[in-house]
Amino acid sequence: MHIPDAFIPIWQGGIYWIIALVFVILALRWAKNEMSEEKLPLVAVLAAGIFALQSFNLPVSMGTSGHLVGGALAAIILGSPFAAVFILTMVLIVQGVLFGDGGLTTMGANIINMGVIGGFVGFYSFKGLMKMTKSMPVSGFIAAWLACLIPALACAIEMFLAGTFPLKEGLLAMGIYHAAIGVIEGIVTVAAIYLITSVRPDLVDSGVKPAAGGAKAA
Amino acid sequence: MIDNKTFLIGGIIVALLIGVVAVFLASGDPDGLESTALIVQGEKTLTGGTPEGAEIHEDLTGKFSYESPMPDYSLGEAMGSTGGIVAIVVGTLLAFGVVLGIAYAIKLAGKPVKQNQ
Repeated sequence: MHIPDAFIPIWQGGIYWIIALVFVILALRWAKNEMSEEKLPLVAVLAAGIFALQSFNLPVSMGTSGHLVGGALAAIILGSPFAAVFILTMVLIVQGVLFGDGGLTTMGANIINMGVIGGFVGFYSFKGLMKMTKSMPVSGFIAAWLACLIPALACAIEMFLAGTFPLKEGLLAMGIYHAAIGVIEGIVTVAAIYLITSVRPDLVDSGVKPAAGGAKAA
Repeated sequence: MIDNKTFLIGGIIVALLIGVVAVFLASGDPDGLESTALIVQGEKTLTGGTPEGAEIHEDLTGKFSYESPMPDYSLGEAMGSTGGIVAIVVGTLLAFGVVLGIAYAIKLAGKPVKQNQ
């Protein structure tokens, strides 16, 4: 759901950039205060992995394809929605500047959708679902699915405000496509959490593991 | 448990492998946003396939445009999948480097203040 420059008027893109910058500054503050030095390799590897996975479009039928976005993954693994804002912002800068994947004037909107909304939806729905189900795969899958669907609906509203899509048609198509793409988001997110927790459980935020299983102090 | 160095190198290798495989196997179908744009323009139905040659018409009035050095993760037709691999490898390493660099810079910038007290 990388919005290209042609889809949003420059002035509206500017407004999204201003909102996005507030969250980017908060994310940099998170990196400074909350991110421990041992976690630096994990943060960087996650950025590389999310970049690579984002290039891997998988068909989801209906003549459409989709890929992992990674907001839920970054937020869940690192234990903060701002981790998603931090990593997704950097990934979007590389994609937009070097590869023209997502525009420059629309980068603010893309940061808001995939980093901010994806990160917050993914993180808090995972937290809530973990309390209810105590199951990482169930919570991770649903949280990641929501973190794909809800940013897509936000994107549809932005497209309506930009005069690019009509509201109803945009919401319907974006919703249906990303409900399907969200299945990829869910599966890849759970697989990645599983993989990272099995090789380096100490790096992963303790909220991922049930208290009984994660006796090791972070 | 594996140490930091193994995790870093292993992580980059996994990311690069995913990216390189994607060059060959990734679907060429439009993504959700592009598909929606095609529907709005009457070139595609909601659940139907995307017709070959379907193109998104862009109205550029009041919009910004920018030519990136490696559009669509490729170095142009002539370079084919080799160009695709180069683009993905550069992008993956850059995503890694930029995040590591900025994260370190932030951490280092934050330190002296605390140490001076």
